[in-house]
Amino acid sequence: MLLVISFLVYSGLELSPGDAVSHMISPELASTITAEQLDAMREAYGLNQSFLTRYWIWLTSMVQGDMGYSMAGGVAISEIMVKTVPATLELSMVALFFSTILGCSLGVISALKRGSGTDNSLTVAGMAGVSIPEFFFGLVAILLFAIELKWLPVGGRLLPHYETLWDRIPNIVLPSLVLALMMTAGAMRYARSSMLDVLAREFITTARSKGMPEWRVNILHGFRVALTPVVVLIGFRLPLLIGGSTIIEQVYQWPGIGSMFIRSVRASDYPLVMTISLMYVFVVLTASLIIDVLTALIDPRVRLGKE
Amino acid sequence: MENKNNIALSVRDLKTFFYTNNRCNKAVNGVSFDVEKGKTLCIVGESGCGKSVTAATIMQLLPTLSRIEEGEIKFQKDDKIINIEKLEKNGKEMREIRGSDIAMIFQDPMTALNPVYTVGFQISENLKYHTNLNKKEIREKCISLLNDMGIPLPEKRVDEYPHSYSGGMRQRAMIAMAMACNPKILIADEPTTALDVTIQAQIFELMDKLKKENDTAIILITHDMGVVAELADNVAVMYMGNIVEAGTADDVLRRPTHPYTKALLESVPVLGRGKNQDINPIKGSTPDPYNRPIGCQFAPRCNWQTESCDVMPEITQINETHQVRCHKYEQFFEKYK
Repeated sequence: MLLVISFLVYSGLELSPGDAVSHMISPELASTITAEQLDAMREAYGLNQSFLTRYWIWLTSMVQGDMGYSMAGGVAISEIMVKTVPATLELSMVALFFSTILGCSLGVISALKRGSGTDNSLTVAGMAGVSIPEFFFGLVAILLFAIELKWLPVGGRLLPHYETLWDRIPNIVLPSLVLALMMTAGAMRYARSSMLDVLAREFITTARSKGMPEWRVNILHGFRVALTPVVVLIGFRLPLLIGGSTIIEQVYQWPGIGSMFIRSVRASDYPLVMTISLMYVFVVLTASLIIDVLTALIDPRVRLGKE
Repeated sequence: MENKNNIALSVRDLKTFFYTNNRCNKAVNGVSFDVEKGKTLCIVGESGCGKSVTAATIMQLLPTLSRIEEGEIKFQKDDKIINIEKLEKNGKEMREIRGSDIAMIFQDPMTALNPVYTVGFQISENLKYHTNLNKKEIREKCISLLNDMGIPLPEKRVDEYPHSYSGGMRQRAMIAMAMACNPKILIADEPTTALDVTIQAQIFELMDKLKKENDTAIILITHDMGVVAELADNVAVMYMGNIVEAGTADDVLRRPTHPYTKALLESVPVLGRGKNQDINPIKGSTPDPYNRPIGCQFAPRCNWQTESCDVMPEITQINETHQVRCHKYEQFFEKYK
């Protein structure tokens, strides 16, 4: 899977116009530089070799753990990754946490109070959350909370003199909440319908017929069963979260992998683009593995064989 | 019926209505019956006649769009008489009765058990809420209940999930769950509809045994006349939310006085009469509950219909145990005597 996608991305990059060299030269110099000089530069970076050869070289070194160097800055990619990956992970994990908790609980409340004012307003909010793009929320949130109310910083992650985890919390609140918003809305809508579906099932009546209090019927018997599809959905949405983080990182000047990705694509920085996209693929694959494990934990019917 | 103290549950003039789209479905429209301790009352009738709603009403497990309109459900708990219809739907007192004094077995064991919990856990919930047993005692009780129900290897099976049980075993587990607190009344809502016939016989045998051992009153809801003949002490025949005929099993099955009961009995094929036997299905179908016939509800489908049937017949007591709701029962009775 990783192999197929890496090849596709590599081909895609090959097809796009321009190469790293054409971005390395400033526009002013471009008129004075000769074709021989360009070719010499290409040769120095190994860009004159055939497409398949380059792919092979890249692949073999990647397998050996050598991610190569960024063409734009000459910095080792592994170094860039070490700097940016934790930032993005931090952002998306916090967002995932918020959206799961908020989405599930709001969805359950909405389902239990079906048809009430609470349910209706949550439904409207959910639709808005799903349909309005994230960067818009990002900008509105900056305007409102950072500029008007001055509660939270506009952006950035690590500022001088603010090094402890506690100091960083205000910085992460806005971007992660905005990032979580779309996931929350989706999870909420899904949790609501899944919960309604489960509450209409017969075993809920059975549970009630045992004389148990309502909370136990709803949470232990209802929500536990309703959770499986919601977990699957959240898992499938993980790529969306990471894709969304690309935009949010731009809006909030978050020094994560998303903003690095955009920069590297603009600069036709092949090795960096390749590494990052490969990492995205890896994350998606890992996510689906985690979902499988989680669903097996929640739903005994999925488990195979003897425990 | 003879001794008042023998009556575990007494329902009087019960009305449960459903409200949808500003229309009212009188699902249960004035039902009265008594359930005696250690006896089985079978409620029979076609689909949609209000059998299951009656059961749900007794347990106060009605869906949100319905409510108890009128009537009394008197439940004798020890020496007190509790009016179930007056209790709050999911209130504390109602919950105390549910599961411990009145328990219920549902139609489809495939869907009535929660798939994500072990069978043992689901049985133990009952004990946890209604007894003071500790964890170890609860577990032992669960195992012994499963053992009583004839489930092999109960020590192992208690920790298994419903999906590894067969249909018959699930229904046994349901019964184990219902019987966990030795209820005074067991309501079984078509407990064997989803099971095949051999399992059906085993389940009924089990219920009969429990009835004899624990003096439990059983309300068995069914549309299977064979089951009625086998198990019932008393029978109530329902049609469109009313009881049209009630009495002992002998009264109703051998000397039916209501044309509907007669028609029901005639529509059952008899084993051994071969393929060419005459089965007389009841003509027409049940009327639209929103557009009911005036007077006797069965009149439009009845061969005995006359003008007098435009008025709802009152309940007539034929003898001490046998009652019927029909204008023409005397002529009818004479003819089939």
